[in-house]
Amino acid sequence: MPQLRKRYEIEPKDFVRAGEVSLQVQRTLRNLGFDEDLIRRASICAYEAEMNIVMYGGKGELVLTVSPNEIVLNVNDDGVGIEDIAAALKEGYSTASAAYREMGFGAGMGLPNIKRNADFLDIHSGHGQGTCLNIVFNFAGDLE
Amino acid sequence: VKKASLSFPTPVRYVEIDEERCNGCVLCMKACPTKAIRVHEGRVAKVIGACVACGECIRVCPRGATRAITTDQGHMEGAKYSAVSASTVLYSQFGENVMPNDILLGLRKMGFSYVHDLSYTNEMFNGAIELYIRDNRKKEHAPWPLISPVCPVVVRLIACRFPELLQHIPSLAAPREIVAREAKKRLAIKHGCDESDIKTTHITPCPAKMTCLMEPFFQTHSYIDGAVGISQIYNLLRKNIEEVEEDEVLHHSGGVGLGWGMSGGEISGVGMSCLAVSGLQDTIDYLERIEMGRLPNIDYVEFRTCSEGCLGGLFTVADKYQAKRYMQQLVRMYGVEKRVKYEYIKKLYTRGWFFADKKADIRQGVLSRTSLTERIDRQKRVDEIVASLPRKECGLCGSPDCETFAEDVVDGRVHLDNCLYFQEKKPKSIGIGCESESSRHREQAVP
Repeated sequence: MPQLRKRYEIEPKDFVRAGEVSLQVQRTLRNLGFDEDLIRRASICAYEAEMNIVMYGGKGELVLTVSPNEIVLNVNDDGVGIEDIAAALKEGYSTASAAYREMGFGAGMGLPNIKRNADFLDIHSGHGQGTCLNIVFNFAGDLE
Repeated sequence: VKKASLSFPTPVRYVEIDEERCNGCVLCMKACPTKAIRVHEGRVAKVIGACVACGECIRVCPRGATRAITTDQGHMEGAKYSAVSASTVLYSQFGENVMPNDILLGLRKMGFSYVHDLSYTNEMFNGAIELYIRDNRKKEHAPWPLISPVCPVVVRLIACRFPELLQHIPSLAAPREIVAREAKKRLAIKHGCDESDIKTTHITPCPAKMTCLMEPFFQTHSYIDGAVGISQIYNLLRKNIEEVEEDEVLHHSGGVGLGWGMSGGEISGVGMSCLAVSGLQDTIDYLERIEMGRLPNIDYVEFRTCSEGCLGGLFTVADKYQAKRYMQQLVRMYGVEKRVKYEYIKKLYTRGWFFADKKADIRQGVLSRTSLTERIDRQKRVDEIVASLPRKECGLCGSPDCETFAEDVVDGRVHLDNCLYFQEKKPKSIGIGCESESSRHREQAVP
């Protein structure tokens, strides 16, 4: 089964290039001719995950895997991690600093947004353990 | 493996490239927002993809080799009556002592039987936007924010690069179309003739208006019979303005509709949360933000791909910043209070007066009939080639950037040897203090 894998490194605190990786993901999916709604959902998830690394992560990476029946985003970082995953999945919950809020982030919508747009979301994290997201999108096989 | 190639609906061309003048440099190819240009055999630029008529290739060409295709004046043939409307930019082109009314009289002296002041319709359109936004707010899951349908380049750019955002564009007809439609209808009744006996002309700062005639997006056909650039009639009109003797009032509008030529002019009369974005790069940036849902709390965005708005159009004569000054003076002079009654606009809106007669079509290049498996395979080959390229993005191969070059190679349009760096299998050192390796790449090929 053919598989396309692309790996992107994400630098913490690099607000100049923030968003670039999710744009790449979007471009790739568009080149592959996916349905616009699927592209939008996947790009939003990639963007939220990317911004989480930029804000809270240590060094991180995003791996995009496209197979003929699913799109997977694996996002890992060695940052501060999430202490209370259940709380972080609630809309409006945020640990963002005042400075981040001033920049327009930290509305507590990141993970909830990913959960809403993905078909499957798995989070592995803990205080000081970094974060590992597994985000999956399914579609009905080959688009023929 | 079948070749997956991008196929576009028969491209309508808005620019022509003079092969005598073109020296095959990379400037137009680099400037094109849809990557529609290639430099053929290092000699001459060719348009091969979907053109959105933004005019960037014309702006950047130092040799004047790229030109906008315009309609010839033949559209007036067989006209019993002629109607004209001009972009309000025209009012800013003759300096501060020539008033809109002088210009409208000058147009009539040029021989048009009916001269319409577009700024009046602009002001009415502002009312229609407000009503549309209110309606949209009531709908659940309505696309948000809305995007102005006025700039034809923006609409085409969205269709090519941001198809998902087409649903953000209200299906309202632009004021220039409404005016042409109404002029035909009313003059036909007034003179007891057929609508086809009346020819409508639009005077425009922008070559993209030609595109509305050749390929209307929101109309089954355009009501405008011909579009003429301001610079194309400038001297003739100036002479006619100087010779005007009669003293009739043709200009009735206030400042709200007059300011439309400037960036921010369209939204200045809309009492909601609106943004005005101008310039091609900013337009693309903000469309990307909207696509990612990152422009909250905004109702409506006025996009103009020319910087400073239509004042920066390619067919203008006056310096755009001087013109902006004159236009701001006009807005102050005629005042920002509205002159068209809200009830009247609402009545017309309810009757569908402002609406276009069809929705926009997606113009995105679609991958020809290949399976996803084949498309994944194609993308892998593209990525492999990209990983082997030095990523200098120089364009010497004839494609606009390394990634597009790799696609062109995989799709069989060019040979890998076209890459100067690839010919010698190692990155050359060209330039001042150049890096030996492409060390700054974040993207890495995964084995």
